[in-house]
Amino acid sequence: MTTARVAIVQFPGVNCEAESGRALRRAGLEAEVFRWTRPPGELRDYDAYLLPGGFSYQDRVRGGALAAKDPLVEVLAAEAERGKPVIGICNGAQVLVEAGLVPGSDAVELALAPNRMPDRSGYYARWVHVRIEPSPCVFTRHLEPGSVLPMPVAHGEGRFTSREPGRMAALGRAGQIPLRYAEPDGRVAEGFPSNPNGADEAAAAVCSPRGNVLALMPHPERAQDLGGLARAITGPWADRRDQALAAGEAGAEGPGMLLFRGLARHLED
Amino acid sequence: MAARRVSRLVAQAWIELKADDPEAVSALAVARANLPVGPSLRGLRRLRLVEIAGKLPARAKIEELLHQSTQFYNPHKERCAVRLAVDEPAPLRAGERAVLVVEREDARRSAAERWWRHETGEVVEVREGAAWAVTFDDGGADALMDLALVRGRRHGLLCNPHSQDCRVAGETVPLPWLGEAPPSVPRRRARPRATRSRE
Repeated sequence: MTTARVAIVQFPGVNCEAESGRALRRAGLEAEVFRWTRPPGELRDYDAYLLPGGFSYQDRVRGGALAAKDPLVEVLAAEAERGKPVIGICNGAQVLVEAGLVPGSDAVELALAPNRMPDRSGYYARWVHVRIEPSPCVFTRHLEPGSVLPMPVAHGEGRFTSREPGRMAALGRAGQIPLRYAEPDGRVAEGFPSNPNGADEAAAAVCSPRGNVLALMPHPERAQDLGGLARAITGPWADRRDQALAAGEAGAEGPGMLLFRGLARHLED
Repeated sequence: MAARRVSRLVAQAWIELKADDPEAVSALAVARANLPVGPSLRGLRRLRLVEIAGKLPARAKIEELLHQSTQFYNPHKERCAVRLAVDEPAPLRAGERAVLVVEREDARRSAAERWWRHETGEVVEVREGAAWAVTFDDGGADALMDLALVRGRRHGLLCNPHSQDCRVAGETVPLPWLGEAPPSVPRRRARPRATRSRE
């Protein structure tokens, strides 16, 4: 059996390609950085795609806006239409939203707007909790709905929103919000800081109707090591972290790996 | 009863980098390379438009206040033109059309308002948006909106209508422009059939 190949699509200014590649390889996948300078058609040779976090094109115009116009994204859209998995993390999520790959009609139906936070504005970084929702998302559908994962967020423009009233709620009903910001006990986050950006429907991620394209604001690749979980995290994952640290196994798999394992399982199937 | 006259003014500060603006350079390059409207796009500049509304001093004092604080601009790197009346020209070049893009519900600059109050004792409202100055070889309002309003991968760049408002100026740039309501974002139009498969 050949190992599935994942292209880590790097636009200028992206900076999370190394840790994303490490997480993919830990999940048993072959990962290769695919830079914007290569011929777009070569992207077709891969089985799945990851758009990592960072600041593509220095966030000029809007986060992800310029990369979304790149010919590489046209190829990504075509391959996604064929059913190949695509995950965009943070800035990668902004690219997918600005390109209309999420929620998936090709028209741009959403924005990742500037964070809305009380008494502050701009960039915000914090560990949050996300709750798994029932969804066809290939990255999360193997996980128990209602389970809670700690992950870090770090962004200035991460608020999923739409000018069409009810659009975000409809996406939730359709299973296209596979992850919501939550309290540690699993209740959906009602406000800041558990919902760190004011996202409509507390959406931490939005996927395509078939579930193969995922735009995700938190960083699962930064939650791949149990020992890296913040001290502020409480609950079952904190217990596992403490046990791992006591056993000298800080590099044991953390909650973020579950999404990469989900991708690997989907590609195996 | 006659309405009581309120001494409320609006000042516009048009602020532009003295050097080439990287944001405008990149937007122009990407639009020319990847958007159908690109080949006819001759020029694209970006200015920050700051509007101050309230009881304001004379022009010289306004200019001095703006120059004094980086809440508004950095005079070492940027130039600033103040506009106080609608019949004063905006700093646009021949053939340029102005498009304003503003974050919905997020245009107020509270830190700048606090600074102004601290310096002058007056309560003002400060808003900020991006004014894009666009020149086409040909094409009218349709081309301008096709560049401005994001609808898909091949159409629109400057404004994502799901979080931003977009306003196109006519021959005369409105004053106020940021503070005016309601926003004039056009409804989503049907995509042209000829380009639909490329989106």
